[in-house]
Amino acid sequence: MRWAWAILVFTSAAVWAQPVVPGLLQERHGLDAAGQGRVLIEELRCAWCHKGAVKRKLGPDLSGVGARLDAGYLKRFLLDPHTADPGTQMPDILGMLPEDEQDATAEVLTYYLKSLSAGKFSRANVDASMVGAGKKLFEKVGCITCHAPGKGVGLKHVPAKYGLDSLSAFLFQPRHARPAGRMPDMNLTRAEARSIAAYLLGPKELKVTELNPNPAKVQAGKLVFRSLNCTSCHKLPNQKSQLKLPMAELTAGKGCLAEKPDGVPNFHLSAAQRDAIGKALAGIEKPLPDRLQVQHTMTALNCIACHTRDGAGGVSNAMFQHFGTDEEGLGNPGRIPPPLDGVGAKLRPEWLRKVLFDGEIVRPYMHTRMPQFGEAALAHLPPLLEKVDRLPPVTFPELKREGRRPYREAGHQLVGDKGLNCVACHNFNGKPSPGLKGLDLLTSFERLQPSWYAHFMRDPQKYRPGIVMPNFWPDGQAVRQDVLEGSTHEQLRAMWHYFSLGRSARDPAGIRSVGTDLLVTDRTRVYRGRSRVAGYRGIAVGFPGGVSYAFNAQNGTLSALWQGEFVSVYWGGQGAGNFNPKGRAIELAQDVAFYRLAKDDAPWPLRPVMTKEQPVNPDPLYPRNRGYQFGGYQLDKDGVPTFLYRTGAVTVEDIAHAVVANRLTGLVRTLRLEAPKAETIYFRVLTGKVQKLAPGQYGTDSLKVRVPEASALFRGQGEARELLLKLNLPKGKSEWGIRYDLLR
Amino acid sequence: MICCVKYRAIGLAGLLALLPSVQAEEVGARWGTEQREREFYRVVNVPIPKGQVIESGAFELMPDNRMAIGTRRGDIYLMSGVDDDKPRPRFEKFAEGLDEIFGLAHRQGEKDALYVTHSAELTRVRDTNGDGRADRFETVSDAWGYRNYHEYAFGSKFDAKGNLYVALGLSASYHSRALFRGWAMKITPDGKSIPIASGLRSPGGIGPNEHGALFYIESQGPWNSSCSLKFLKPGGFMGHPVSFNWYPYAPGLKRPVAPESGTRIVTEKEKVRELVPYAVVFPYIRMGRSITGYVVDKTGGKFGPFENQIFLGDYTQSIIMRATTEQINGVWQGACYPFREGLSTGILNVQFTPKGRLLAGGTNRGWPVRGIKPFALERLDWTGKMPFEIKRIHITPDGFKILFTKPVDAKTGNDPKSYRVKTFTHIYHGGYGGPEVDQTTPTVQRAELAADGLSARITLSTLKRGHVHEFDLGALRDRRQGELLHRHAYYTVNEVPKK
Repeated sequence: MRWAWAILVFTSAAVWAQPVVPGLLQERHGLDAAGQGRVLIEELRCAWCHKGAVKRKLGPDLSGVGARLDAGYLKRFLLDPHTADPGTQMPDILGMLPEDEQDATAEVLTYYLKSLSAGKFSRANVDASMVGAGKKLFEKVGCITCHAPGKGVGLKHVPAKYGLDSLSAFLFQPRHARPAGRMPDMNLTRAEARSIAAYLLGPKELKVTELNPNPAKVQAGKLVFRSLNCTSCHKLPNQKSQLKLPMAELTAGKGCLAEKPDGVPNFHLSAAQRDAIGKALAGIEKPLPDRLQVQHTMTALNCIACHTRDGAGGVSNAMFQHFGTDEEGLGNPGRIPPPLDGVGAKLRPEWLRKVLFDGEIVRPYMHTRMPQFGEAALAHLPPLLEKVDRLPPVTFPELKREGRRPYREAGHQLVGDKGLNCVACHNFNGKPSPGLKGLDLLTSFERLQPSWYAHFMRDPQKYRPGIVMPNFWPDGQAVRQDVLEGSTHEQLRAMWHYFSLGRSARDPAGIRSVGTDLLVTDRTRVYRGRSRVAGYRGIAVGFPGGVSYAFNAQNGTLSALWQGEFVSVYWGGQGAGNFNPKGRAIELAQDVAFYRLAKDDAPWPLRPVMTKEQPVNPDPLYPRNRGYQFGGYQLDKDGVPTFLYRTGAVTVEDIAHAVVANRLTGLVRTLRLEAPKAETIYFRVLTGKVQKLAPGQYGTDSLKVRVPEASALFRGQGEARELLLKLNLPKGKSEWGIRYDLLR
Repeated sequence: MICCVKYRAIGLAGLLALLPSVQAEEVGARWGTEQREREFYRVVNVPIPKGQVIESGAFELMPDNRMAIGTRRGDIYLMSGVDDDKPRPRFEKFAEGLDEIFGLAHRQGEKDALYVTHSAELTRVRDTNGDGRADRFETVSDAWGYRNYHEYAFGSKFDAKGNLYVALGLSASYHSRALFRGWAMKITPDGKSIPIASGLRSPGGIGPNEHGALFYIESQGPWNSSCSLKFLKPGGFMGHPVSFNWYPYAPGLKRPVAPESGTRIVTEKEKVRELVPYAVVFPYIRMGRSITGYVVDKTGGKFGPFENQIFLGDYTQSIIMRATTEQINGVWQGACYPFREGLSTGILNVQFTPKGRLLAGGTNRGWPVRGIKPFALERLDWTGKMPFEIKRIHITPDGFKILFTKPVDAKTGNDPKSYRVKTFTHIYHGGYGGPEVDQTTPTVQRAELAADGLSARITLSTLKRGHVHEFDLGALRDRRQGELLHRHAYYTVNEVPKK
């Protein structure tokens, strides 16, 4: 029975010239005729001329219309809005004038409106290839729910009206031009807005209607704009409006509501619409009950196209196909926006506002986007919802500090994979679930009211019909009898407490933080961080092709080489992300590499070693007092670094290139030194169990180096051998090469 | 109850460093003002492109109005379009591979360079070939030791003389095992690194106050029972003595006598001449738990009525606060005020945009955070509506002068009962955090509202040196009977001006 009015009012909807309010086209808005009339009164902005207890819906802001719309379209629209844009809510105003004045009036109005913005309207060619993507997006994000082809707010007039730039800008921020928010912000990026604009305009080429400057017409238009009372709905600076009869004194069938309105704005109302408005006028001064006001708002803004509430609304069969998801396993709740029954008792007040006004979302997998209607349209709604939506209260008294641990542990256990395995279908703190990537559980406490949470958990199906979430407390009986003595309330309390810890909650078992592998593609990559193979001031260098090395910048030495992938970095905790070689690293000594030994057999100065017993650096100036100072690095066009440093007064440019050959893989390293005066310095190449393989060739089990034999100084015994280069530097520049071959 | 929480709680740079995993902990109660704050300051999400991780640790505004963002992961992005009404900014990667960035500074005249403070060093990062990506990384200073991941380095912007300052956190948050951990250093324009002050614990940000004096933010922990703003006095000792071992490496500076644990800072600073008292104490939990980067509002009123005030983010509570300072008898002190709660992640730094909005960003990685996003960028926009707020508090010889953003009505404004003041101090000790002690409740003997209603002078029975004076002005009304948006403020009295 409830739907009878809807059918009655709109079965005559074949005449599409009547003004369209998309919410009233829904099959299940549930409003009676008077209710529909009241929605129409608000949507058609009657209250701007007729004072009454109805909200004043803001009119389009015309200050930018000159740059937004084509002048030719604008004039046609002013002359006959219902032909130019069938379904428009703009009344025919010029029809009030004698027929022979209409064209000239439309003309001067067009001149005036175009003069309001300095920007220039333009048309750009639409690339036909963009059209298909735009159509997909139009359907995917939810535009189609209000703009269903042939039913809903018509878009056929759009190509004549807009250019690509102006339509893109409008779609990106629709509330700039239309502050009432009926065309909501769909959270599009600029590129998405352009794509949808391209689809709506199509590749047809249209001309821009040029107007020649004509101040007289502009001035005349300005006067007409005021005398026709356009200013009632379209607020412009320095333009006043006039009020007409108060709303309570209006009569059905008269004035704008006459079958053939004469001398008044003509909205082209259908008979049913006139009838509905007439019925609404009877009680128009009585404020709506809160619950009904919610229903009116949800109809006026067409929330009911996606959401259900109190038996009204919901996605129609025809539209269902357009509601997509990235997580099909979540079923309908993954693709259909949630029911709004009791939403005022479900969401915390702060979160409700974040969703409505700040664009916060927690279901990134859902393709349909939550439109942003803006505060002008919706500021009244949250307090109403909070007033009318009630749930039997369930409280979880705050736990005493000493009593928290068992609850924290129980919550952690229940959420994890050794408990109820919530993480099988829910992400946690941005970390993906190993299964379905459902709503992030860490958001629960910030979003939800505890009473709703408690009721929902005991019967998810009741609050979210079709949800795949099992009931872990069927008939109030906990399926996990081994946790908190099987008490349903205590288990729910424990999980709530666990969620309340926010980020300080330990990740539940089953959610893994994994190291991030840094990949090297076509460019050499440099990453600084601490590492066992390079110290705290470590720098990893990864070449395309799979050779990497590490440089200890604290002491100025090449400290490790490896093959295979580059490094993995752990970014899960407090630290910056230490790096670990992805391949088996060949580690070299990390002491200073350059030094001035007093004589050939003097011991090499070793870096200070800190231990548990001696954690304080006993020689904090070790590298500096051995002459070393790091200077940074320069990347070449391929991203290959040249390390820059000094040893004493000698400057060093240290560059290594990867060599990946059939049999030999490794580095070719060049040291370019510049000395202010000739001197002898030592460079340590290799330590440990080193053998001389051939003149100029030395090696360990895993690494072979080739050095200039004339400079080689091979010393020490057994496993404590050292290969040094004794470099007799000339004054000025000299260059030394070392090759490192990685052995299998 | 609160004192127990404080005693046992573990702060941003606390024991966690020693624990294998993050331990559960509550982040404290809300102010409960979020819904009302929204009317005056909107929090606008600045979306980060899908698939990108931007854990902001530092911001700098470039000459071309792009915002440079340095991240914990060591990347530097240049963001354009931050001020668009509906921000959908473009992020261009300028550099990568640095080590946890907590300082970005642009030096005038160097349009393609940024001075980057990260854990390893202060690096000048340049784009020398004009392709928009950095290719030269020059070490400006690495004059400090780095042996533990918790040894974060925070860098300031340049001062008028071209100096940049670096604040160096302790080792594992408790020790000073590597050179100059727990010190602040001055890096001069010619690249000299000069240690200027010891006694830092776990800094969260460094930069000038609204009068141009160098300050830093200190975290609650040993020798610090609450977070505080401190004046970084050259040659000063900032309170935590574990870093005294590096005085032999700091030419010209003399090791102070060791402070005694379990005292009060107001008396201890008479014995330890170099000890600099907390300028603004942020009562723990009520006013943040891990305060981080801050910035002074120099927007010329674009951000509302708080021109020339300090704005600070808090990591744990995802909030923004305000602070003001003044110098009395040569000592810095001042007040802090609640400002905006309900941000989405742990705030690590803040910066004003060209249009005078406040950009805030951070992560929730590693420590307890209220905000539910792993990382986020958000912009605070003033809506243009004037909130009724305590604008600023000054001390007078016998009480305080309180400034308001809107005229207070004469009835409540002239009534001494509208001004409730309590005081407390902290124990100055080596234990972690500490309770509020020595509470007093001075009598407000007189209240005198100025004719324009925009300020009031109150006379107190006593002013307690070394105490935080806590204001509750909830009974005040503006001339339309509106309530204060935030009723509390906290003034730290180190000195009382002479009559």
